[in-house]
Amino acid sequence: MCGIAGIFAYHYAANPVDAGELQRTRDHMAARGPDGAGLWIGEDRRIGLAHRRLSIIDLSAGGAQPMFSADGRLAVTFNGEIYNYPALRADLERAGRTFLTQSDTEVLLHLYDLHGPDMVRRLRGMFAFAIFDQRANQLFLARDPYGIKPLYYADNGWTFRFASQVKALIAGGAISGEPDAAGQVGFYVFGSVPEPFTTHRAVSALEAGHTLIVDRLGMRAQVRYHSIAAAYEAAEAAPRLAAHEAEEKSRAALLDSVRHHLLADVPVGAFLSSGVDSGSLVGLMRDAGQNDIETVTLSFREFEGDHHDEAPLAAEVARHYGTRHTTRRVSEAEFTADLPAILTAMDQPTIDGINTWFVAKAARELGLKVAISGLGGDELFGGYPSFSFVPQAVRRLQWPSRVPFLGRGLRHVAQLTPIARRLPNPKMAGLVELGGTYAGAYLLRRGLFLPGELKAVLPDDIVAEGLRRLAPVAHIEGQLMPQPRQPFARVATLEASLYMRNQLLRDADWAGMAHSLEIRVPLVDSVLLDAMAPITASGPPLQHGKALLAMAPRRPVPQAVRARAKTGFVTPVGRWLEGANLMSRRRFTDVAALSRPDTPWARRWAFSVASASA
Amino acid sequence: MTLPLTQQPRQRILALVTDAFGSHGGIARYNRDLIAALAGAEHAADIVVLPRIGDSAGSQIGERVTQLAARRGRLAYARAAWQASRRHGPFDVVFCGHLYMVPLAAVIARRLGVPLWLQVHGIEAWAAPGRLVRWAADRASLVTSVSRATRARMLSWSGLDDWRIKVLPNTFDAAFSAVAREPHRKKAVGRLDLTGRDVILTVARLSAGERYKGHDRVIAALPRVIARCPAATYVIVGDGDDRSRLEALAGEAGVADRVCFAGQVGVDELSDFYRAADVFVMPSTGEGFGIVYLEAAAAGLPVIAGNCDGSVDALADGVLGTLVDPLDTAAIGDAIIDALEVRKPRVDVGRFATAHFARHAAGLARSLGQAA
Repeated sequence: MCGIAGIFAYHYAANPVDAGELQRTRDHMAARGPDGAGLWIGEDRRIGLAHRRLSIIDLSAGGAQPMFSADGRLAVTFNGEIYNYPALRADLERAGRTFLTQSDTEVLLHLYDLHGPDMVRRLRGMFAFAIFDQRANQLFLARDPYGIKPLYYADNGWTFRFASQVKALIAGGAISGEPDAAGQVGFYVFGSVPEPFTTHRAVSALEAGHTLIVDRLGMRAQVRYHSIAAAYEAAEAAPRLAAHEAEEKSRAALLDSVRHHLLADVPVGAFLSSGVDSGSLVGLMRDAGQNDIETVTLSFREFEGDHHDEAPLAAEVARHYGTRHTTRRVSEAEFTADLPAILTAMDQPTIDGINTWFVAKAARELGLKVAISGLGGDELFGGYPSFSFVPQAVRRLQWPSRVPFLGRGLRHVAQLTPIARRLPNPKMAGLVELGGTYAGAYLLRRGLFLPGELKAVLPDDIVAEGLRRLAPVAHIEGQLMPQPRQPFARVATLEASLYMRNQLLRDADWAGMAHSLEIRVPLVDSVLLDAMAPITASGPPLQHGKALLAMAPRRPVPQAVRARAKTGFVTPVGRWLEGANLMSRRRFTDVAALSRPDTPWARRWAFSVASASA
Repeated sequence: MTLPLTQQPRQRILALVTDAFGSHGGIARYNRDLIAALAGAEHAADIVVLPRIGDSAGSQIGERVTQLAARRGRLAYARAAWQASRRHGPFDVVFCGHLYMVPLAAVIARRLGVPLWLQVHGIEAWAAPGRLVRWAADRASLVTSVSRATRARMLSWSGLDDWRIKVLPNTFDAAFSAVAREPHRKKAVGRLDLTGRDVILTVARLSAGERYKGHDRVIAALPRVIARCPAATYVIVGDGDDRSRLEALAGEAGVADRVCFAGQVGVDELSDFYRAADVFVMPSTGEGFGIVYLEAAAAGLPVIAGNCDGSVDALADGVLGTLVDPLDTAAIGDAIIDALEVRKPRVDVGRFATAHFARHAAGLARSLGQAA
């Protein structure tokens, strides 16, 4: 876990690396790594790598970074965990390699030395790292298949810079702060900034599942080594399994993933909700041999006694699996007090992440450095309403949506006449226009604002420029390449490549890191995906999907949890927002379209977040 | 798998340019430098050049470079380019030396099935061009821009991925050593009748179409400078249709006697001006790069430039000179005063040497071969 940064003055005309700038970038990420800091500048001052450390594997100074290969040729700065490093290390030792430390970082150096950029295919875990080869004068960067760990870069044509956070790059002081219209538009459309765009024109994300090489001529094309769409598409060719085989295989794959995710030299706790995902993971942690499990659940006074309250069921799961359990209550006063810190820690604007902030805070209060989260279960096992909504919309609307001008006409009618006020949700206006394709229907389902509504919250020129560069529907379609045939596989691909990647995982990163807590997600794992995709791709009945997960532990998840209807994780932020001091120059009450009493609270929250970060 | 260099077939490049050999001006010079770099590289390319203007008879062209007869007319040029692509081929790369020619170059590259390399210089690539040019530019496998500023502006309208647009700065080798400045200085000052003056120098065309150079803002800053440095005199080298306006401006500002219009000068006389001057200033807002800053710096002068265009590259973010807001006359004045009052250490502009440029250009050409 940790924060990484680097500067590569690759161009002959570029000034040498400024150690002060690199240090400012690094130390903006102090919370990501409170246990140590390292900075290295190459002899000719053309390269600098930096690191902030949160020690979890090999707590000794041996794990310090930047770390060098024995011959000094390779230098690495690494954020994340390589869960299969014991196996990789054993292989490398058999091949005659000698190790100087106990850390997973060193494995990266040996693998790169042996296999070059292809080494990334051997890694199981969450990671973002950079390796500099001093002989080849070449920088190699890689990001994990799902994009669990962030990696941002800025290249001005002379100098390449990277860091774990956008705000850290800006804090260095050498990058233009010009906003990116595509990032602004993307945030209002999706509720989070879709990669590779960011809030800043000069900064881009290295996309999930990609590698990048920078040499003396600058960046080469990014190379994709993993795609969720491709995993599903390949899985569709697999023969269908009998029910008991499917159960056996998924049980083994889930246990295997949990076992890998428990690798640590510090205790690993777990977030517990009232849902199947986190409950099943705690059960599997027990099956994997961990007897002493610390769990934590959030509760809100506002929900006490109603069905949104997670605390009672979570407590039952905790008793069921015999964990040391804490219910952490969050009050409006605490929310209000923490809000400035939340907005500061929020690297990229998002309409979510508040819950993760508090549960991470609670885990840290319990002394945990690592916690398991059930994030990803809904994407893998079809837990969202989108799994039924999107295919249904496409089935019903594919013909009407092809009638020229019909969809657009209906949207104008719905938006510009009194009908607008009767719609249960303003997005309904776009139903016929968008609902006929997977990308369009997904946008309807997940979109916060539809493209046609953006002018209410952004200036016209920003909307035009942002839509031109982002092209939201095409952006969604782009995730479906290659395109799986089955509806389940398509929706699962979209959810994992868009909502989960740009919102859930990014929120888990900044909100966890703000409390120096590493959040691990065993249900977001490319090896698990390869095992599960052949089982789920051809669309098992939806109830059955989560059942596979619930029945995976030797002691299945309690019946009460399995029977509970999905509510999603709800926080009373909507209510608290009314009284909160957002420190923003503009409040949503200043905007006509957001002042109507029936405005979805997420839209108001989005506006407040965007105004606060502007 | 990449073959060792010596086993790779020699690259053949068709260069469609406005002008190169037998022509003057910044773009012709850049094209010549680039073509020479590619033809002279360790694993040299063969290059066929088709210019719009310029007679190459008598100009030195390397053994690997063939310059065809210039075709001024648009249609004649397009026809000649098309014929060249067939008769002088096969080619591995089509190089396009100007954004306005990119539609033709893109069509030819497409017909030949080879990568397109587009060169952009300055303001022509700053604002979004028409749809056709944009479409054609988006077909480029490689774009080289003379500065980071031009690259950033092009990225704002282009659909190209960021990694395709590289920076290949103008190149400059100091013609004479700045160490030799002092012995010649006195003579130059005397010859130019500038004895006892603090000389502020600008070298640029005085074109009504290129008012972005900032002469008028230096004139506006003069009263502030003279108040602190009574001996200050502003010498403007260069001529053009904007001269009378600038003369009138100097009169209005009450500094007519402190502004000297030297007109256009030859190379030798220009050296004298560099030797006689105390500071070079050109607060431009529209430089693609600005070689003139490097000439001045190489002559040992402190340099002042604007902070919003290619000048930032020529001055290497302020390492090679002082960057100011080019629209802020007070800031321009203060920078001039500072340069006149505080002796600045001499800077080294060696980073822009032709050897560096040539190695980079050859590397970029080779990367195209590998991508194809």
